[in-house]
Amino acid sequence: MKNGRAVVLVVDDITLIRMGAVDLVQSAGYEALEAQDADEAIRILESRDDIDLVFTDVQMPGTMDGIKLAHFIRNRWPPVQLIVASGRDILEESSLPTGSQYFSKPYNDHAITDAMARLLQSKNSG
Amino acid sequence: MGPFMPIKSAIFAEAPSTLAVVVLSNEPLLFLSTDLQIIAASISFCNAFDIDAATIVGRRLGTLGDGEWNMPKLVSLLNATASGSAKIEAYEIDLKRPNQKTRQLVVNAQILDDGQKDHVRLLLAVTDMTDARATARQKDDLLNDKAILIQEVQHRVANSLQIIASILMQGARRVQSDEARDHLQNAHHRVMSISAVQKQLSTSQGGKVPLKAYMALLCESLGASMIADQDRLSIAVKVDDSSVEADVSVSLGLIVTELVINALKHAFPDQPKGKITVSYASKGRDWTLMVADDGIGMPTGPATPKAGLGTGIVEALAKNLQGTLEVSCAEPGTAVTVRHHADAEGQTAAPSAA
Repeated sequence: MKNGRAVVLVVDDITLIRMGAVDLVQSAGYEALEAQDADEAIRILESRDDIDLVFTDVQMPGTMDGIKLAHFIRNRWPPVQLIVASGRDILEESSLPTGSQYFSKPYNDHAITDAMARLLQSKNSG
Repeated sequence: MGPFMPIKSAIFAEAPSTLAVVVLSNEPLLFLSTDLQIIAASISFCNAFDIDAATIVGRRLGTLGDGEWNMPKLVSLLNATASGSAKIEAYEIDLKRPNQKTRQLVVNAQILDDGQKDHVRLLLAVTDMTDARATARQKDDLLNDKAILIQEVQHRVANSLQIIASILMQGARRVQSDEARDHLQNAHHRVMSISAVQKQLSTSQGGKVPLKAYMALLCESLGASMIADQDRLSIAVKVDDSSVEADVSVSLGLIVTELVINALKHAFPDQPKGKITVSYASKGRDWTLMVADDGIGMPTGPATPKAGLGTGIVEALAKNLQGTLEVSCAEPGTAVTVRHHADAEGQTAAPSAA
């Protein structure tokens, strides 16, 4: 949290999609940070302690994809909530950390903001 | 070496016809004595395995070429076959020759025993599978590459649709005028309805879209983004097990999107509860699509028969699908029906006025 607003980190290698996701997060009333791949996301997570939720794509260049990133984050920063989006079908929720949410692209904006609200609320009350 | 070799029937008492059959066999074939001496060999064998046809008769199998046929396993199997205790069926063996690629062989052997003890013979058929196997592996690789490529395309399409949907939503969030926002949100819904077809296609076999799943996904998405109070308004989907071509499903989806949005906007101004029902059924090549609401109903009379149909997209799409369009009173509410009859195919069907 920062200044009473939740902080959401958006991770996607495609600029236009990342920008759209940032806009979505901001219009929902949260503060948005962005990263273009898992490595950058981890650097950002290491540099601050106020990130509440990470919204990540799956297919990205770099050392790890979004699924591995989700597991990495759950291991290292357990309180951070996770939403994973993918353009490929697939994805059994069982391959993701418990409590994380999966959406296929193109995602319904309302579905994402609803999920964010639920996850952030459960974080605060949990 | 010419096409015919002298048939030496002097060493062994073989019928010339037997030897001729072996020699001319299309498949590599060896006719052996029980101590593995070659009585006859097919020309195809000599060609396939680079053995001199002129000198092959009378040689022992193990002495052929550089001794590559002296494979212990093969020899012991042939000996077992000769003693009558075995038969070699489709036995796979690798032929290794110096400075040559290993060949994958399949051998079949059997005993020919006409009752005379010193006249028992062995027939050994050898098939070189190397090239056929390589081709099969290559085909598998190509099919695999093709599957991966298709997945890549699906992925790119999904990303592109995401970008378009996202840009429209960003626009809708920014414009000041309600009318402009309305147009952008409608455009966004239409993009999402097309995206839903893409998602269905990526998970279905045979390139057809199962309508039940597609319509359920579409209506759930529309409900999620347009219905604020889910206890008040709902969308029911009653679709049979039809699957249709992608472009048909896109048109059907756009019609449903348009009609559902209209109903949500206009059919329930004061109603405490409202329900929209989307139904589809097909029989042979005939089908019927209906979107009905139990709301306020249409203004009656010939004045504005198509008022509930929005911008004209529905008429255009219905015509495209060679269907007839009908708006009727559902009492309460309104029903819009598109009907397609197989005998209308190939003709331009004009939508009928309500």
